[in-house]
Amino acid sequence: MEKEKNDAPDRELSFVTGGEVNVRQDPWWWLVVVVIAVVLLLILLAPVPFQEIIVFAKDGILVTILVTVVSYFLMLILGLFGGLGRLSKNKLFFGISSLYVEIVRGIPLLVQLIGWYFASPVIIQKLGLWTGIEALIQYRANPIITAIMAITVCYGAYMSEIVRSGISSVPRGQMEAARSLGMNYFQAMRYVVLPQAFRVILPPMGNEFIALLKDSSLVSVVAVADLTRRGREFMAAHFNPIETWLMIALLYLIMTLIAARVVSYIEKRARYDR
Amino acid sequence: MSEPIIKIENVHKRFGRIEALRGVTLNVNEGEVVVIVGPSGSGKSTLLRCINRLEEYEKGSIIVDGIDLNNPHNINAVRSEVGMVFQSFNLFPHLKVLDNLTLAQRVVRKREKAEALEIGMKLLDKVGIPEKAEAFPGQLSGGQQQRVAIARALAMNPKVMLFDEPTSALDPEMIKEVLDVMAQLAREGMTMIVVSHEMGFARAAADRIIFMDEGVIVEENTPQLFFTSPTQKRTQDFLSKVLQI
Ligand SMILES: Nc1ncnc2c1ncn2[C@@H]1O[C@H](COP(=O)(O)OP(=O)(O)OP(=O)(O)O)[C@@H](O)[C@H]1O
Ligand SMILES: [Mg+2]
Repeated sequence: MEKEKNDAPDRELSFVTGGEVNVRQDPWWWLVVVVIAVVLLLILLAPVPFQEIIVFAKDGILVTILVTVVSYFLMLILGLFGGLGRLSKNKLFFGISSLYVEIVRGIPLLVQLIGWYFASPVIIQKLGLWTGIEALIQYRANPIITAIMAITVCYGAYMSEIVRSGISSVPRGQMEAARSLGMNYFQAMRYVVLPQAFRVILPPMGNEFIALLKDSSLVSVVAVADLTRRGREFMAAHFNPIETWLMIALLYLIMTLIAARVVSYIEKRARYDR
Repeated sequence: MSEPIIKIENVHKRFGRIEALRGVTLNVNEGEVVVIVGPSGSGKSTLLRCINRLEEYEKGSIIVDGIDLNNPHNINAVRSEVGMVFQSFNLFPHLKVLDNLTLAQRVVRKREKAEALEIGMKLLDKVGIPEKAEAFPGQLSGGQQQRVAIARALAMNPKVMLFDEPTSALDPEMIKEVLDVMAQLAREGMTMIVVSHEMGFARAAADRIIFMDEGVIVEENTPQLFFTSPTQKRTQDFLSKVLQI
């Protein structure tokens, strides 16, 4: 909420100003620095193959980031509705969201990815034949979009449970107090319950981001040219598995370590904003 | 006085097998202060919660200020006419005290920010803690929190105030500051229904005392007669227990 942002600076404990990160406050940033230094050192000492790998795989890094960030925000939205559904008194919403969560959580992400990738175009084409809509008959799977969809659906189920437990952690009296002041369900959720649930949800939400970033490597099996797939392509062309996977692993590590620092920074801010 | 502002007729409410209310009929006039007493589990909270429909009832009717609660479309309308104060305060811990007071004014009453702030400050003054406007609820004592909760309810300009054991969760030295605010409200002519075990308050501020047991109203009377000459055996037993303490 805008209001909260405005009064953050005059809070006693908000040592963080202007959003810059402070290495002294969070020594784990040194690990990020060290890993980056290792990568630079490798490039410096042996440009072939290390620099070549990075040049070759750099669009893969962008694809990995794109898939991660887009799926993450979509799955947050899906998880919000899934979580509200799991708490709904409405039997239909409750039934649909519970079924969704239980089924999706029981199937490996890799199976879901492959399933969506191969099955969804066939279904859409069949639908096209059945309805006679030419655009559907001509449908070809877009790997990135299909992958994002699959990850969103899968992670949305986990997120639903996180949202549900976060909302349940807010005492019932909060909703009742809001309702007794005349707010409707959505107003009470938006202004009273969700802001409090958010503080509980934040740490698992951060963990989900990092998990999703790592799991995004699975999209390499469904024709998405992410960092992992680019690594495989490089290795196939140059036959140097040790150097290739060392470099790819380090690149993932840099991304996850930075993400972990950002997550912990956001958590700290949310705590002190209280 | 003309029409009662609250008309409760033959209300029944059950939780599964438990019959919490078994036919309660009660009229409250404008400006009246009604104190409800009774043993634990007698249905006092349930009755209060039915009056702003935090609890749904199965049978009977409740009409508040001409608004029929049996029609579900009226729920939010009624709730903004009826202020409720809870035993556990239920302040919004993520908002500053003043924001606790302005939130519903802005969201429900659609007041401008400046107007809501002005009303909020005026009410904090009234309950005696204007200096806490910028504090968070967690930084206040229980008594201060409950006074903020009263101010928050008043900010909606309710016609009726409901209090469910507002001092039961407080340390003894804080009870008085909350009761003083309530007594002040009563003097100003607010219509109030108060569930409380504070017999001193009941004696001083109530126009009428109601004794509930097992989901029904057993006896009602003016404070003098209620305490000096209760007619029902159950009332006498109850009084002998609470007045001993
Ligand atoms: N949400 C609920 N679910 C099931 N039973 C309930 C619920 N709320 C109340 N009851 C039951 O209804 C009966 C009346 O409860 P109520 O809270 O109205 O009593 P009370 O007079 O307020 O008691 P106390 O003085 O302890 O607050 C009790 O037997 C209680 O156990
Ligand atoms: Mg009670």
